[in-house]
Amino acid sequence: MKQHKKGLAVWVLVIVALLIASILAGTNGRAESVQEAMRDAVLHGENRIAFLGGKTVSPALISAFTVTGLLLLAALLLRVFAVPRFKLRPGKLQLVLEEAVGLFHNMAKSNSPHLNKFLGVYLFTAGAYVSIGTLFELLGLQALTTKGHPITLPAPLSDVNAAIGLGTMSYLVILSGGIAKNGLKGVGKTLKEFSLPISMSFRLFGALLSGLLVTELVYYYVSLSFVLPVVVGVLFTLLHAVIQTYVLTMLTALYYGEVSEQLHKE
Amino acid sequence: MPLNIDWQQILLHWMNLAILAGGLYFLLYKPVVDFMHKREQHYKDMEDKADRELQKAEEAKAQYQQKLEGAEEEIREARQKSQAAVQKSAEEQIALAQAQAREIVVEAHAQAAQAREKAIRDSQRELKRLASEAAEKLAFHKDDDPFDSFLDLAEGGSKHESR
Repeated sequence: MKQHKKGLAVWVLVIVALLIASILAGTNGRAESVQEAMRDAVLHGENRIAFLGGKTVSPALISAFTVTGLLLLAALLLRVFAVPRFKLRPGKLQLVLEEAVGLFHNMAKSNSPHLNKFLGVYLFTAGAYVSIGTLFELLGLQALTTKGHPITLPAPLSDVNAAIGLGTMSYLVILSGGIAKNGLKGVGKTLKEFSLPISMSFRLFGALLSGLLVTELVYYYVSLSFVLPVVVGVLFTLLHAVIQTYVLTMLTALYYGEVSEQLHKE
Repeated sequence: MPLNIDWQQILLHWMNLAILAGGLYFLLYKPVVDFMHKREQHYKDMEDKADRELQKAEEAKAQYQQKLEGAEEEIREARQKSQAAVQKSAEEQIALAQAQAREIVVEAHAQAAQAREKAIRDSQRELKRLASEAAEKLAFHKDDDPFDSFLDLAEGGSKHESR
């Protein structure tokens, strides 16, 4: 019992000492003001990264490729080591995989009963990309900008180009469902929802960007860097991941089911 | 472009998504969905098999029920037949016993008659024997000469009568 108390006292002392030291140490001066940091978080105009040694791109694009690489590597490992060991009575890992795949598979089937094979694949991909991409920022992977500054790789969808990419891709998938089932009428039906790609894109962008801005703000000031990041950095990110995944996949499935519904001749 | 929208980067994001969709489909989605379908089919087959077995069992039960009802009828008929056979056999045995009894009685009567005749014959023979013995005793008295006795008897039996 005494040993426990001693350990606790040492732990508290270490924390207090580090806190005091960090406050006393101060900062070496900001490379950029909070306005510049926020502006760059939105526009990615300053801190850019050379893509394949050529054109400079937003760090979010590097994040996007990294997320894809990680997802494909995980999928490959699961395909090689886990899938062949699947049993009729599933274990924990198998249950998680089946639940993840089954969630999007069933979402596609229930929202678009007539045509859902491709939709299921797309929903699974988009779901994995949005959720893992959002959680990716928690890893805090570093990259070097063209100016030589280190930068933490952001969530892919915090870049407007990535959000537009995913939003328009979802719209094209919905359009393909309309064409596959109803031909030109399906195109017309899809085009009626012309605001859909914009709303999808900017919903994603806004949601992810707001999280990013709040996190940027919190980390900008040392005084806010204690305890608070646990809530805004981790809990908000987890919530974003779940909510945005659900919203995007559900909207895509709903509209896909609507436009791919068989039109009845009167 | 406002907000630094860059079509080249958007196209790169599309390419990234296309790579991810293809990779995830072949590496994870398809194998897992295939396995889930396979398992679903496995349990569906099991259910179908169980249904078929159940149906067979129901049919067999109905057949056995029918047979059981038939068997009850058969048992009733067999019981009636066996009762009739037993009754017939008992009647036959009774008739046989009565016939045997009659034969025994007749035989007993015959034997009794024979015994009586024999007894009569024996008694007659005994009487004859006794009579002859008595006659002999009378005729062959020890003190007399048999020849004289005979002659006495032949002559009139006065001596004998006097005695």
